[in-house]
This record gives sequence, structure tokens and C-alpha cells, in this order.
Amino acid sequence: MMALPLRKERADASDIPHHRNRINWREQFVAYLFLLPALAAFAVFAWWPILNSIVMSFQQVDLMDAGASVWVGFRNYERMFADPTFAASWRNSFEFAGLSILIGFFIPVLVAVLVNEMRAAKSFFRIVYFLPSVIPPLIGILVWQLIYSPQPGGLLNQVVIGLGGTRAGWLQDAALVKPSILVIMTWGGFGATMLIYLAALQDLPIELYEAAEIDGAHPWDRVRFITMPYLRPTMLVLLIVQILGIVQIFMEPLVLTEGGPGQATMTPVFTLYRKGFLNGDYGLAAAWSVLLMIVLGALSLVYLRVTRAVQQ
Amino acid sequence: MDSSVRAVLSDLEVRTPRGRLTYALITLALLLLALVVVVPFIYAFTSGLKTSREVFSTTFQLFPTVANWDNYGQAWAYFNLPRLFLNTTFMVTGGLFVQLSVSMLAAYSLSKLKPIGGRFLLIGFLTTLMIPGIAYIIPLYVTAARLGLLGSYWGLWLSYGVNAFMIFILKNFFDGLPPEIFDSARVDGASALQIFSHIVLPLSLPILIVLSILTFVNLWKDFLWPYLMLLGNPELQPISVALFVVEQRSATPPNIQMAGYFMAMLPPLIIAIVMQRYMQRGLSLGAVKG
Repeated sequence: MMALPLRKERADASDIPHHRNRINWREQFVAYLFLLPALAAFAVFAWWPILNSIVMSFQQVDLMDAGASVWVGFRNYERMFADPTFAASWRNSFEFAGLSILIGFFIPVLVAVLVNEMRAAKSFFRIVYFLPSVIPPLIGILVWQLIYSPQPGGLLNQVVIGLGGTRAGWLQDAALVKPSILVIMTWGGFGATMLIYLAALQDLPIELYEAAEIDGAHPWDRVRFITMPYLRPTMLVLLIVQILGIVQIFMEPLVLTEGGPGQATMTPVFTLYRKGFLNGDYGLAAAWSVLLMIVLGALSLVYLRVTRAVQQ
Repeated sequence: MDSSVRAVLSDLEVRTPRGRLTYALITLALLLLALVVVVPFIYAFTSGLKTSREVFSTTFQLFPTVANWDNYGQAWAYFNLPRLFLNTTFMVTGGLFVQLSVSMLAAYSLSKLKPIGGRFLLIGFLTTLMIPGIAYIIPLYVTAARLGLLGSYWGLWLSYGVNAFMIFILKNFFDGLPPEIFDSARVDGASALQIFSHIVLPLSLPILIVLSILTFVNLWKDFLWPYLMLLGNPELQPISVALFVVEQRSATPPNIQMAGYFMAMLPPLIIAIVMQRYMQRGLSLGAVKG
């Protein structure tokens, strides 16, 4: 029934190039009406706060009254750089990033390769490893707090003592606290990351394995020369994603350590939170925000570059 | 139905004695890892069943001698869990609705209504994906405070309207819909709104379901933003926020804490497991068709 008018419309449409410059304002009005809620939401809750963080970083900010804020030049930046917490926070970020590559980065790759080898129960492993990713991270952290507890009931110390070791302060010892936090993060995230690797492995043509097998390649060599090179681009992308996540560590220091022991788990976001919300020093916190946006934005650019290069 | 596809090892190799051993070792390693992954859940569950003496025992004892189901009732009332579940559901459902509506309308306009400067706007939306929200949470909080949005769900709901990822996914989906449908509807005199509600909405139901599940789980996990927004109004706080506030303020016995945390983890766990089955059914349907 629609075939006829459709063809007619097509015929008419061929005229359009002659009138390309004519704007149908009615249609434009409707188009922008549909865009209006998104434009309003992004303006108020994203674009303006991003710009305003730059403005606020040069002010002594009054929370409720923008007019009562005072311009202070680069004072906030000077205070930020002079603060010993500044160096500690960013140094911790680097240490967390380095350690997380050792602790958490290779686990999802390894597990994905092994799960992909399974002839049955693949979906079982997929679900089980994914479970920690779906619960609110905060609740997971609260449970881990009791696992790491230095008190008699703490699970990890019970196990360590049962195996003949000695009691440790998993969150109280400066040497242990970073790995302890990274274990929680790995537990909470490796299942989701593994699913990405598994999906990549699905696209690996099995003919490559068959050909290698005919050529007499040992299974280990097949992993080394086929699987791993195939996963390398995905690994590179996920490495940057992991570093992006590490720079944003916040909840673990908030709930478990308050940045301690000493300043071992002070992180940029946690410091920013303390300056802003606990001290009410919004201008100083905004300076931290600006720096954080630059770092995270730069990492995102690298991420974009790498994904684009990988896709080609 | 995901079996019988070879990977590194061929089916023939798996059947040799050496292959069998390798396969058994892989299975064992994966099972052990699965056990380690679920230990925190089991530990929370069984600690919730312990007496206040057992929970402070120095020796390793995963299960209590007698299960104190009472603790679960106590934790249910102590944390006021029904209230917290209700709050979270309310916050998440509203946020989900706003996010889906705002993103659908914007994506439809960008894809089909050809607004002038649409490409520029899309880039403007996508730029927000480059800067994680936590980096500008301070100025965001200041903006919300000055607009008088603190302490109510409205501030949260409206702010959840920002999701460039969803706009991007939906726009790509709309771009892929056959243009003939839209042309013929326009010829029949349908307005943009009618096309949206009668054609676009029903056609995008499958992708909306997937996006809804994703958003639901993500909003359910949100902590810092609702914490800041509802600091002054504890009765409205969602579950992560309320559990954190209680943990900070009072010394709750560990067994009651764990019982509460375990119950708090159950709804997302159940949703994940149920949805996983749903997804697997979809996968196997595709396999039959292929």
C-alpha cells in the first residue's frame, strides 16, 4: 500500500539538491525540541561544572553564593603544589598503577585463555567470575574490611595463622596496604575484563590453530605465537582503561584506610574529596579537579588514539 | 551449547592421556579460582549466621556450629533494609527513566531530524566521556547546591540524564534503521513525535532492554554522588550510602554487619544470574538460526 507514494517521494527527493540551502525552520525547531532535554542536562550537569572548575580554581569559593566568591589568582595552585599530600597522592597513584600491572593486569588474560579452552561449563565460569562486578563496590569493600580485619575474627589472618604464618595488618602495614587494596579491586573487576578478552578470543579464526597443529607446533607455542599476539591490541587498550581506573581510586581509602597508614593510600580523588567536602575549601579542591581533568583527559586521548590504531 | 569448539588444543589432543591431564589441571585451576572469587560472599553469609563469640574466634571456622538465622532478622531491622531497598529502587528507576528518555530523544533527533550543527553537538556530548565525572564532582556539587537540588531525588534524577555513551549507542542504532520506514511514515503525514512513539520506540525495544539492564546495575552501584546529594536527608539514602553511613557512625557487631551486607548483595547478584541465563538463551537461539 505504501509502495506507490514511497516511489513518488523518492522522485521528489531527487529535486532536493537544488534547494539545499533552504532551511526548513519548522523542522529545525522540532529537531531542537527533541534535543532540548539533553542540552539542558549536559549544560547544567556536565559542561558548566567542567568550565566552572577552572573558574573556581582561581577563587575562594562561597558554596551557596557565586557572587560572594573572591578572586585569588594562582593562590589555590600554589597551595596545591606546596602541600606535601600533593606529591604523596600522585606518587601513590604511580605506585598503584605499577603494582596493579603486576597484580591485576595479566589475570584476566590468563583466565580468558583458560576458560576459552573449556569444552563445557564455560558459561558457569563466566557467571561466577563476573559476580563481584555487579554488586555495589562499596558493599564489597565493607565485606573485605572484615576479611582483612586485624581483630581475631579476620578471615585472612585466620587462614595465614592456620597455615603457620603470623598475623599481619593487611590495611595497617604500609608495605601491605597497596597490594591489599589492589586485591579487592582485582576481585571486583577481573571478571568483566575477562569477558572482553573472551569476546576477542571468539573472533580468533580457529584455522590458525589447526594450521599450527599440522605444522607440529606445541600447544604452548600456539599460545605464544597465535593467542598472545592476537590479544595484544586488546591488552594495550585495557591497560589504559586500567590506569584510568587506578587514577580514580577513592572508595577504598575512604572506607578502609582514610589515606593511611601515614599517607600510603592518599590518592588524588580522595585528597580532592577531603579538601572540598571535609574542609569546605572548594577553590583548592577545584585546582585539584583541574589537574585531575587534565591527567584523565590526556589518558582518554591516548585511549582514543590506541583504539583507533587497533581498529585499523 | 558453547562446548565442542576447539581452541588452542584440538578435540583429538584433549582425548590423549596428556591432553586429559592438561584439561583436568585447567579445570581444577579454574574451579579453585571460582572458589576464591565466591569466598567473600560465602564468608559474609556464614559470618552472618555466627554467634557474637564465634565471629571473634581466632581459629579458622567457616561455618558456625549452629546457624543463628536470628541475626538475619536483626540485621534486616537494624539497617532498615526494606526501606533501603525501596530507596535504591526509587532512585534507580527514576534515574533510568530520565536517562533513557533524554538519550532517546536526543539520539533520535541527531540521527533522523538533521538539526543544524548536529555533528558539533554530538562531539560536545561525547567530550564528556573523556573526563570521568569524579574529576569534576566538586563544581558539580557546587552547581547542585546553588540550584537548591541537594537533599532530594530530583537533583539525582536530573543529573542522571547525562549519559553520552547511551546517546552514542542509540544514535548508531537509529542510523541503522532502514530509511524507507521513516520516508513512508512522513509521506503518510506522521509528525516527528508520532514517528518517534509509533515506529522508533517499538523498533528499539530490544536495545532498550539491554541498555536498561546495564544502566540499572550501574546506577544501583553508584555511591559518591548520591552520598553527597543526600548527605542532609538520611531517610532517602540508597543502600550503599546508608550502609557506609551506619558503618562510620556506630560499632555494629560483625555478625550483624555481615548478615546485612549479604542481604544487600543479593538483589544485584540475582539480577546478574537471571539476566545471564536470559542472555545465554538469546545466544543459543542465534546459534540455532545460524
